[in-house]
Amino acid sequence: MSRFTRGLRQALTIARRDLKAMVMTPTFLLFLLSPLLMIGFGTIGSMSATSALQGGQNRERMIAIVPAEHVAAVRAADAELRRLFVRSPRPPLVIEAPRGDVETQARALFGRDQTDAVAVLYGPLDAPHVLRAPSAYPEAQFLGTVAQQAHRAEKAGVKISTSPPDVEVVTRGEATSSGRGQSAYFAALGIFFLTLMLSGQAVGAMAEERSNKVIEVLAAAVPLESVFFGKLLGTFGSALLFIGFWGTLFAQLPKFLPEGIATELGSLGTAVGPAFAPLFVLYFAMAYLLQSAIYLGLGSQMGSQREIQMLSLPITIFQFAMLGWASFAAGNPGNWLSLGAEIFPFSSPLAMAARAANAPELWPHALALAWQALWVAITVTVAARLFRRGVLKSGSPKRSKRQAERHAIDTAVS
Amino acid sequence: MGERAGTASAQPTGATEGTHLSSDLAVSATGLVKRFGDKRAVDGVSIAVPKGLIYGVLGPNGAGKTTTLRMLLGIIEPDGGERRLLGEAAPRDASDRVGYLPEERGLYPNMKCREAIAFMGALRGLPWSTGRKRAGELLEQAGLGHAADDKIRKLSKGMAQLVQLLGSVVHEPELLVLDEPFSGLDPVNQERLEKLIRAQRDRGATILFSTHVMAHAERLCDHLSIIAGGVVKFEGTVNEARALLPLKAHYTPHHHADTAGALLPADAERENGSWRFTVPSEGIEALLVRLIDAGYGISGLSIERPGLHDAFVKIVGAEAMEQVA
Repeated sequence: MSRFTRGLRQALTIARRDLKAMVMTPTFLLFLLSPLLMIGFGTIGSMSATSALQGGQNRERMIAIVPAEHVAAVRAADAELRRLFVRSPRPPLVIEAPRGDVETQARALFGRDQTDAVAVLYGPLDAPHVLRAPSAYPEAQFLGTVAQQAHRAEKAGVKISTSPPDVEVVTRGEATSSGRGQSAYFAALGIFFLTLMLSGQAVGAMAEERSNKVIEVLAAAVPLESVFFGKLLGTFGSALLFIGFWGTLFAQLPKFLPEGIATELGSLGTAVGPAFAPLFVLYFAMAYLLQSAIYLGLGSQMGSQREIQMLSLPITIFQFAMLGWASFAAGNPGNWLSLGAEIFPFSSPLAMAARAANAPELWPHALALAWQALWVAITVTVAARLFRRGVLKSGSPKRSKRQAERHAIDTAVS
Repeated sequence: MGERAGTASAQPTGATEGTHLSSDLAVSATGLVKRFGDKRAVDGVSIAVPKGLIYGVLGPNGAGKTTTLRMLLGIIEPDGGERRLLGEAAPRDASDRVGYLPEERGLYPNMKCREAIAFMGALRGLPWSTGRKRAGELLEQAGLGHAADDKIRKLSKGMAQLVQLLGSVVHEPELLVLDEPFSGLDPVNQERLEKLIRAQRDRGATILFSTHVMAHAERLCDHLSIIAGGVVKFEGTVNEARALLPLKAHYTPHHHADTAGALLPADAERENGSWRFTVPSEGIEALLVRLIDAGYGISGLSIERPGLHDAFVKIVGAEAMEQVA
């Protein structure tokens, strides 16, 4: 059995134990379901905020003080213009008849308890005057436009149509340029969030071995490179379980989305087409392995949990920096700075995932994946050597190997 | 393997020179050096462990035993010197044929005993299923069958230590390296461990173990090295070590015990009605004739060979022992 095969087998043995140790605990269930807590608390928070907002909005009114002869034209203009604001509906329009001093009447409406007047229209339609609350600029503009529309319709002697036009939805055969740009950004953001959530656990991966002295048993049986690679694969396995679980759930999501949103999502295509999904998974794997290898290496040097915890802030800042660089690359493909993000090993997976959305060529991805895999190996090797020197207090294995080979020759001769 | 003459020297022994072919040796090392900062923890240790024997590495605390074993196994790299493990120039290439019990015991507390043993076997290339099967058998033989599916954290320290030892032999290694295997064990478990070590030797394995407890070494070792201050002070058999000290005689005269000392060697000491002295280098026969002729007679006589403990103290030196203490 070659050294590589034996090292791989040993790494897989360690990965298997680690994965089993992680999965077969109640903590893993908490880890797996933690997004539910996030979603749950987010939903409760958003419902509370929406409820509070809607409670206030339900009482908001736009008010038009117009004589009876203009009421029909104003209502028709309001109905017509309201179609333009389907996504951000305006408060209902209430029409009141003028009584006495109209300006006084209009100002008095802002003091009513039953309703919250946000904007009040009064005066002749050809020279309307609008009072508004400080935050009601759009409503004031809306009322002004209603007055102008109503005035024009009355002048022209035409009736404003309230019947909607016959609208047909046309879907594009391929993704739009802006859709690709958005996909590029979402790809980088998606990988960033997944690695942010999942790779942090690698920081403490060696803590158990060090605190329980198991490291001596492992180091005697297995090269440290295999120990580190095995630990990395173990944590990656748990991350894959997490992604598999939530990926399966999210894959069902489009079935439950409103038709309009599902159609909108259809414009988020990518330049590489169906190859994007496997590329996304591969780049996530590389991003995870690269960052986790750094965290594993740093964490293994730390002497206590406190030191490990202190690492979390610089680690997160580093991750955000990589996201920032990759996001720039997503929005500015072809730029030299973008090329740098694609080459720098620790931003490369994010930037290349973004590139998969922006550019159709596949060969750069093969190159990038090989480059990133090489850096995973380099990082693991460096981490293992630092551990050997710093924690095990050992010398260089390279030199001793040479000595051992020389000794083998001497012995054979004797 | 031929009997070797014991050597007691401040110089490293030329362990691999001439006496053994490298194929007869499970472990060989020449001039191993390891520095930690300014301190030379191991200073030119040479060692040759013939295959199929129980080989002890003895030494006071801090002598460099553990560091030597760790270098031999490739856990740490020496700053100087050369080593071979089971014929391999790189110790890692032999790791699947080696079992190791470190001085600082370490097991995953949440693993079950059977799984922990199978895992240690799997690290050395034994399939998990075979490891689990053998683990069950080994635990039964060690009287721990009832704990096979208990988690390590539920075991006593001694039981956990036995489990770890079983993990180091589950793959039936050619070489078993045990660093202070008896520390922390009660007498019953020490006896179990001695049996297990002998059983491994009878199976054909080579056992290399370190200890600073002479009684275990005296009972178990076919061959031993004594290390102190990072250098090998002696290499040979237990008897060769003991032979470094002269025989002691315990003589009880039949008559006039008080005056018998005049005929005895200068170091003779009175003990109640008896005398204790070093047997002269030319033998005790002439002395006995003189004592009988002078009318003292012989009421009791015993000749004792000094134990390994005394030999160890002589080899290591009282000064080194005091430093350790």
